[in-house]
Amino acid sequence: MPLIIKDEYPEMLFRKDGKRLDGRDVNELRPIKMEVGVIKNADGSAYLEWGNNKIFAAVYGPREVHPHHLAKPDKGILRVFYRMATFSVFDRKRPAPGRREKEISMIVSDCIEPLLFLELYPGTSFEVFIEVMDADGGTRCASTTVAALALADAGIPMKSLVSAIAVGKIDGKKVIDLSGIEDKAGEADLPIAITWYNEEISLLQFDGDMDLEEMNEFLDLAKDALKEIHQIQLDALKRKYIKLQEETNKPKEKNDKKGEE
Amino acid sequence: MEEDEESADEEFEDFEDDEEDIRDVVVPGEVLTEDVKNFLPGRGTILNKEKNKIISLNIGLKQIKKNYINVIPLRGFYTPRPGDKVIALIVDKNPVKYKCDINAKEFGQLKPKNTIKKGRVRGFRGGGPPQNDVGTEKFDIGDILVVKILSADRLNKPELTTVGKYLGKKTGGIVISIDPPKIPRVIGRNGSMIKMLKNLTKCNIFVTQNGRIWLKGEDIAHERLLIESIKKIASEAHTVGLTDRMQEYIINEKKKRGIE
Repeated sequence: MPLIIKDEYPEMLFRKDGKRLDGRDVNELRPIKMEVGVIKNADGSAYLEWGNNKIFAAVYGPREVHPHHLAKPDKGILRVFYRMATFSVFDRKRPAPGRREKEISMIVSDCIEPLLFLELYPGTSFEVFIEVMDADGGTRCASTTVAALALADAGIPMKSLVSAIAVGKIDGKKVIDLSGIEDKAGEADLPIAITWYNEEISLLQFDGDMDLEEMNEFLDLAKDALKEIHQIQLDALKRKYIKLQEETNKPKEKNDKKGEE
Repeated sequence: MEEDEESADEEFEDFEDDEEDIRDVVVPGEVLTEDVKNFLPGRGTILNKEKNKIISLNIGLKQIKKNYINVIPLRGFYTPRPGDKVIALIVDKNPVKYKCDINAKEFGQLKPKNTIKKGRVRGFRGGGPPQNDVGTEKFDIGDILVVKILSADRLNKPELTTVGKYLGKKTGGIVISIDPPKIPRVIGRNGSMIKMLKNLTKCNIFVTQNGRIWLKGEDIAHERLLIESIKKIASEAHTVGLTDRMQEYIINEKKKRGIE
């Protein structure tokens, strides 16, 4: 008889003072840090730290498709490779892409594809490589967010960015941005992605149990958080350029003033 | 081949058109204006589905020209167009064609019929041209060529030629590459930047629109200074008053390094 050791989860997912285990409120995001242009040899790249998640994304393209039979004569293709590093989770992650990696690669690709003008680049491919260095819940949402950022950094024309977040229910309460343990021990989990061009839902997955009314409340809750994430994305893209603009502009103003005096 | 010449660049004027004012950096999806009655979407922009907003498609600088709103990209890739002169690297060859890397999504094709030398010895009266000499130039893998694009579209591979002024194999010199959207900035308004670089560093420069720059100077010190200057221009392409700032920078650096 094999011995089965079940994962141990805490009985309560809220502390006595009403906050979550990591000290957040119900509608508080984990700290997010984004950066673009981190990989020199890629056409576009981005890095994201979202709580304990650490994710790199690199974009190459448009370039020829290998294997060649995947190329489409009338439009380009977007290929996403989501991979987790062996040291990214508690037990060693086997490096071969499994069922989960393939699924997440597919959903990220489907999520971003409507924003690109693939019909302008027939017979070519855009390739996005997402490497999860450290995982702690919500990597599919974080991957979508960082992939969009890397594509924008590569200068590929796109209608808008896309941001994603997971909302869910833990101990009967509605919370946003589930961490790893809340994701596993909680009651419901609902990752959502929004394309900001026309504000359409681009990804909606669901696990757990809730009724329809709750679902609508969750969507409203997610939208507010998504706006916050979108703002961080915009800042990350612009930061590099605006900083240089300001730096080069300052001495000139000083010189002008001196001249007037 | 030591021509003192820069590439033609009439179409790229908009980047350096109004250097005076700071322009906003915009990113994909950002709303440029909601006033669709007075403005039209230009390059790098699109109307949204309800047609009440103009939004940006690229990361770039917002520019208003007459009643068009354009976005001048800061990042991007090179799309070949017929008539462009570009620097190509031969990566493969076979009896029918050379495969050339032109920094575009597809490799360019250079067929031997497009490499026929001009002014070769023609046949004289009473005898044809020499039988063995077909008049085509021979290249090897790894050669750097300056080529002109004959035809390019979305579907077919671009076709190249080496017949024409300033075209052909480059011997000597250094080739560096920068982001293709920043090439207009290296040229400057009416070639002001490139003239300044040439005068101050005493180098020959050949700038092409696929982001590659060929340069050759008197000695390695000048060449190194020029390369550093070009990298600086590329990283500060979106700022104002760049030509003056670069002139100052090069003069200072020359004093520091002790080269004249």
